[in-house]
Amino acid sequence: MIWIAESYAALRDFFEAGGDVLWAILVVTILLWTFILERYWYFRLIQPRKTREALEKWNAMSDHDSWYAREYRERLLSEIRVDASQFIIYIKTIVAVLPLLGLLGTVTGMIQVFDVMTVLGTGNPRAMAGGVSAATIPTMSGMVAALSGLYFAASLDKRAKVEVERAADLLRYH
Amino acid sequence: MKLMSNSLIVLGLSLGMMAFTAPVMAQDEASTLDELLQQVREARTEADRRYREREQRFIEQRDQQEDRLQEARDRHAEEEERQERLSEAFEDNEQELSELNDRLQVRMGNLGELFGVVRQVSGDAQGIVRNSIVSAQFPDRGDTVARLSEARALPSIDQLEQLWFLFQEEMTESGKVVRYPTSIVRADGTREDVDVVRVGVFNTIYDDLFLRYLPETGQLVELGRQPAGRYRNMASGLYNAEEGTINSMAVDPSRGSLLALLIQTPSLGERIQDGGVPGYIILALGLIGVLLVIERLIFLTLAGQRIKAQIGAGKPNPNNALGRVMGAYAENKDDDVETLELKIDEAILKETPALEARLGAIKIIAAVAPLLGLLGTVIGMIRTFQMITLFGAGDPQLMADGISQALMTTAMGLSVAIPLVLLHAVVAAQSKRLVQILEEQSTGIIATHADKLK
Repeated sequence: MIWIAESYAALRDFFEAGGDVLWAILVVTILLWTFILERYWYFRLIQPRKTREALEKWNAMSDHDSWYAREYRERLLSEIRVDASQFIIYIKTIVAVLPLLGLLGTVTGMIQVFDVMTVLGTGNPRAMAGGVSAATIPTMSGMVAALSGLYFAASLDKRAKVEVERAADLLRYH
Repeated sequence: MKLMSNSLIVLGLSLGMMAFTAPVMAQDEASTLDELLQQVREARTEADRRYREREQRFIEQRDQQEDRLQEARDRHAEEEERQERLSEAFEDNEQELSELNDRLQVRMGNLGELFGVVRQVSGDAQGIVRNSIVSAQFPDRGDTVARLSEARALPSIDQLEQLWFLFQEEMTESGKVVRYPTSIVRADGTREDVDVVRVGVFNTIYDDLFLRYLPETGQLVELGRQPAGRYRNMASGLYNAEEGTINSMAVDPSRGSLLALLIQTPSLGERIQDGGVPGYIILALGLIGVLLVIERLIFLTLAGQRIKAQIGAGKPNPNNALGRVMGAYAENKDDDVETLELKIDEAILKETPALEARLGAIKIIAAVAPLLGLLGTVIGMIRTFQMITLFGAGDPQLMADGISQALMTTAMGLSVAIPLVLLHAVVAAQSKRLVQILEEQSTGIIATHADKLK
């Protein structure tokens, strides 16, 4: 049980050293991973069902060659595309924003350093070190969080396209 | 020489007298030559006698002068002798004096050093005691030490012991956690008599509030800005603890200067003021961006709801984009397929600008805000360097102030840009979905309806 308290204390120290921006990074990162996990869950469980439904609707049609039929197929595919690529733009945006948040943390940390210098002069490196850690920790966290999401952003984007392609293959003209 | 000149004068005078008197006597009843001769002889004898008398007198006087001269010489010698004697005595005295002075120095030596040390130590102690939080509990102890450090006379044993006692007291108190009643100044300026707890020489707390000791007035003042809640909980826990229990407590190892720093940290409002004109421009842009996002959110949500309703409904409703596209179909459904498609495409083309409006503006604001922040930073740095040109780089505090102002605009630019980028993603996704419904599904939806109508 002690390790829980210890890791909690370590985490708390980390967040206190990193400053307020770290909380924003945490929130955004949680958001990012929620979206990523939601997408995997969607592709595993929801997507096959949706494709099946679309296929059933398509097969239920009497003719598959008229203008109406082609437009109807386009609609079915578009619905699949809209659903599959949902949230992926958020994932991409968050991956792009996380380093910016890190930069924000760096700037606020440097402001803290210069605040200390304003009050105490350059003679107190220990007091300035607090600001320096507040400057570097968010940068690192922002980078790490962005990198953690980078692969999934690309992979999910590709997955969405693949799913639409597969559905298009299934909805064949007779 | 003087003697000789005197006798010459005497001789000259006597000769002159002789020549003068001779004719006078010749006029006197000189009846015969013998008589005349006799007279002359007598006169000569008489003159001789007078001359001799005078000579005698002169000689006497000369001897007298010589005696006085001798006398004066004797006195001169005597005085010289005396002068010699006195100067010798003076030298002796001088030497003795310097010897005595040396001895005085040697004997003073130890005591003078002691005096210096006492003054120095009490000067140091004055600083410590003055700034020590313990002085809030014992207000009068600074006086002794102040008296001692300013005193000109040698300190007495009693005073030395007082100094020693002060140090001992400071040491002992620095290791104690004590509770004592005192009057504190609250954040709103009112005075209150409460029990406070002092933790060594580091902190004084009242309940969960950290207090600050002001050496100028000797008062305990509630900190206007308190540390994080965790530390306040620790303080509260310690304040309300039972006697003899062990509590964890966060202390300020800098004896108050870290807590003072906490107060001097500028508030958000002051920081925004620091940003200057670029800062206000960024904030205004951010506000505009947020307003645009809100407007888009409302517009797109309403449009989306209406479009969703339209998909279910049979009749085309002209209050929404899809309805209007379907209306275009209904008007031209008798045309051939290609013309119909062109008409529908035209209707869709008319609808998209409204759905995509202002997204570009939001994106541009999100892109421009960090650049404006950078501009503010550059302006701030220029100002800082102008200050360095004027006042030199000797004062880091002056420079640091300008730099923290300069960095503030960058921070503001980023804080405006990041939420706007995220919000833009939300709004853009919403708008994209609606446009996709129009572009890719409208014909499909029309086809479904047409099937039903058939």
